[in-house]
Amino acid sequence: MEGIKVLMVDDEVDFLETLLKRLKKRGLEVFGVKNGQEALRTLHEKPFDVVILDVKMPGMGGIEVLRHIKEQFPDIEVIMLTGHANVEVAIQGMELGAFDYLMKPMDIDELVFKVEDAYKKKILKEKKHCKKV
Amino acid sequence: MLLNALKKLKGLFSSKSNKEEQHDPREIEELRLAFQIKYHHFKLLLNANNKALELMTQIEEYLKGHKFFGMTLIRSIVTQIATNVFQMINNLNQIAPQKYVLLYDKFKEIQATLNDLLSSQSLPSQGPLVISLKEVTKDHVDITGSKMAHLGALSNIEGINVPDGFVITSYAYKLFFEFNELHEEIPRRLQKANISDLNSLLELSSELQQLIIKAAVPPEVADAIQREVRSLAQKNMEVSLRLAVRSSAIGEDTGEASFAGQYRSELNVAPDNILDAYKSVVASKYSLTAMTYRYHHGIKDEEVDMCVGVIRMLDAMSSGVMYTSEPLGGNGDLLLINATFGLPKAIVDGSVNPDVFKVSKSRPPKLIEKHITQKTVMYTCLEEEGVCRTELVEEQTLNPSLSDQEVEELAELGLKIEEYFGTPQDIEWLKDKKGQLWILQSRPLKLISHKSQRDLKVLEGKKVLLKEGVTASPGMASGPVFIVRQDADALRFKEGSILVIQQALPRWAPLLSRAKGVIAELGSITGHLANVAREFRVPSIFGATGATSILKEGLEVTLYADLCAVVEGIEEGILPEVDSPKIMKGTSVYQTLERASLLIVPLTLLDPDSPSFHPKNVKTLHDITRFCHEKAVKELFEFGKSHKFPERSSKQLLCESPMQFWVINLDDGFSVESPGPYIHIQDIRSIPMKALWEGMVKVPWKGPPPLSTKGFMSILLEATQNPDLEAGMNSSFAVKNYFMISKNYCSLQSRFGFHFSIVETLLGERQQENYISFQFKGGAANLSRRVLRAQMLSLVLQDLNFRTEVREDALFARIEGFEMGYMEERLRALGYLIIHTRQVDMVMEGPRQVRTYREKFKKELKEHFGIEFYNGTGGH
Repeated sequence: MEGIKVLMVDDEVDFLETLLKRLKKRGLEVFGVKNGQEALRTLHEKPFDVVILDVKMPGMGGIEVLRHIKEQFPDIEVIMLTGHANVEVAIQGMELGAFDYLMKPMDIDELVFKVEDAYKKKILKEKKHCKKV
Repeated sequence: MLLNALKKLKGLFSSKSNKEEQHDPREIEELRLAFQIKYHHFKLLLNANNKALELMTQIEEYLKGHKFFGMTLIRSIVTQIATNVFQMINNLNQIAPQKYVLLYDKFKEIQATLNDLLSSQSLPSQGPLVISLKEVTKDHVDITGSKMAHLGALSNIEGINVPDGFVITSYAYKLFFEFNELHEEIPRRLQKANISDLNSLLELSSELQQLIIKAAVPPEVADAIQREVRSLAQKNMEVSLRLAVRSSAIGEDTGEASFAGQYRSELNVAPDNILDAYKSVVASKYSLTAMTYRYHHGIKDEEVDMCVGVIRMLDAMSSGVMYTSEPLGGNGDLLLINATFGLPKAIVDGSVNPDVFKVSKSRPPKLIEKHITQKTVMYTCLEEEGVCRTELVEEQTLNPSLSDQEVEELAELGLKIEEYFGTPQDIEWLKDKKGQLWILQSRPLKLISHKSQRDLKVLEGKKVLLKEGVTASPGMASGPVFIVRQDADALRFKEGSILVIQQALPRWAPLLSRAKGVIAELGSITGHLANVAREFRVPSIFGATGATSILKEGLEVTLYADLCAVVEGIEEGILPEVDSPKIMKGTSVYQTLERASLLIVPLTLLDPDSPSFHPKNVKTLHDITRFCHEKAVKELFEFGKSHKFPERSSKQLLCESPMQFWVINLDDGFSVESPGPYIHIQDIRSIPMKALWEGMVKVPWKGPPPLSTKGFMSILLEATQNPDLEAGMNSSFAVKNYFMISKNYCSLQSRFGFHFSIVETLLGERQQENYISFQFKGGAANLSRRVLRAQMLSLVLQDLNFRTEVREDALFARIEGFEMGYMEERLRALGYLIIHTRQVDMVMEGPRQVRTYREKFKKELKEHFGIEFYNGTGGH
């Protein structure tokens, strides 16, 4: 799917840059930031469809960022990414409205499919809202 | 009567009149959107289901016990399954809002129990930081580690001399870690790392060891240690006190895993440097060898507390290792002593070919055999601190390191110790400068049952390159030679090579899991590396002088460890079938997985039609996935039938004429909008449905196979007894044959001649999401014939690469992850089989029919669809 706008939030700079490059090659419009504050600022400035969010980050933790995103931008779908297996954090995230929870290292194809599925969900929701009006 | 006929006529035309009513196109569009949304959630649910099932299969694989795994892997799998199951509940909730919310509570319950299982437990918080060796008993093993617990026990045996000392306990260790926050920092770094890559493991090992060495010893621990050291010094004022600081990790030396040489010992340490030596030994918990070893044995990192033993250092005249039984089988009546000059380090580290003494286990013991070798190196204590390595001069090297009498004296001690512990022992011993014999360590000896291939005839006619040394680990192996001299070589080590080294150093241990065999120029059967080789069952020859010059890099060789011979070329041997060791069984990590899997894998909700198929009866995560899947399909089906818009209602399938099949379009399964009651097969856009249908109609069904009287009678009998064969079914769900489709999705629920089958498939460009699942049950004949039919079908499907399971007369089959063309072919085959195995149960008299029909169908599938079969094992 072309043109899906994706924001990546991860403090591991190398990982972030590699992933941005690969996702760009797949036709996604990607942008990367290193922490939660930057993420929220960027979301206010530009439109995005999907956010890929690293859960374990110093400073504002991933769950906090997720909470803020869902409060301020409820239509944006968030995919949580992490190197740690933690059932509680995963479920908490999904209860807060995350679209899914993936563990690193993940298959790049799998990630792209998730982004597409999340985008589709967003589109369908939007259509539904339009109808109601 | 006429009125009824009129009513019926009216009904026929009613769809037309509805059409004239002109439904609001906006309402239709809303309905279409509703379908789309539900279908999207349905698809997400199916994906999550597939993921969860795949992970459950992985758990079952690991539970077989042949593959290594650790806590990190378990946590990862369990977390992924939990998230996918939660997804399924969420998506079901989107499809049928608020209807199944009890599932969330059930999920939470199971998740909480899983969490408890996976998080580590802590020991009672308070206890002594140090214990003097004389006070240590076997009961202290949980706080002193078994090495020191054993030594403490030994020190109380009559006639056994053990040097004075004390143990720095696991309480001290925990305090040390907590004081420096290492108990959080280290797990954090471990989780982040990629354990399978040797390079990053090396880096991580070095990182973690540095962390520990730079950390500060908490004041209470430092005080306790120094008090003990002072007390030791006072006991023997004439000699300047020196110490041996040794690891005694919890779990080390329990006989399950020998941890041979995985940790560091600091020898001949001056009391001033005791704290640094302590930290150095603790840091060795994260040595490369130790980390790989734990990983391979499924030992949880957080379970290994590093206790440290501090004992008075003795300088040695000679020393070595004694095995109170032969480790490689034999008659059990021989005791083995390896001895050399100087400290035991030379033997334990495999840097010397020691003297070998074989003693009978009689009372008193008698020396039977001795081999005095050329001992070229020796370790002794330096005056100030530390240990020095001396090259031995010509004449000295050939002297025996023990006199015959000393050998028998030592053997007597060995037998006493074996008697005390009740099992053969691996004993480190030392003879001091005054001639006194001391015991430094004793642990259970791992015996290997093995049929020795001692027949030299095997070597006839072969080019023998080397015939030297001792059998460190039995067996036979072939492969290319790979010589390792330095760590850099180790990083390049090619899997499946024969490892050739100069010294049998413990630091090559991580390579053993990838080597087919090992040849070392120096070393003995009693060294640490030999222990590891036996544990990993890697055939090894040690003490093979000249190996690194005689054997050329890359040369293909065969090593006969029992004969201590190496020949050129790859030889096929009649290897005794060794049942691949169930390495993981009995380890605590394995037990954790077992317990966790009981909450995940078993299926207790079996029958979707039974009233007990309800969230309140959910016991495992698999129950939840099953429930969600079944209900999701049902909900979509109901949604597809329950609304009043003919535009979106189920359509009867039209080929040349109306078929007994109805189709519900979930999303984009049709290429045209069809307002009427029919949909033509040409207007179907569903890729999987088209493939399935093609298979079903390819060859007209010739009717049921010709019956024998027995077969016919079996149907009659069954028909009168089986309530499922009653005409009036209560669920409208099961009466007609229904397709539910979208462009990439198709499910078919059908009932043909007394049997019931469900096909479900997702087929698209996303190869890893593709799957076909097939369920089949029933038939008109009696149970044994139905069972045979299920078995026959199962075999044909296996030939098609499906995974199958047969439970009585029910068959379950699944295939996933292949690309579209391959899957379409399977679907055609499946369609064909569904139609043409109708009533075949009636002729299933016995195994012969199973074979005949299996071959018949394979032939037909090849003929009609060009499917190639690769005969694997052939037959069943």
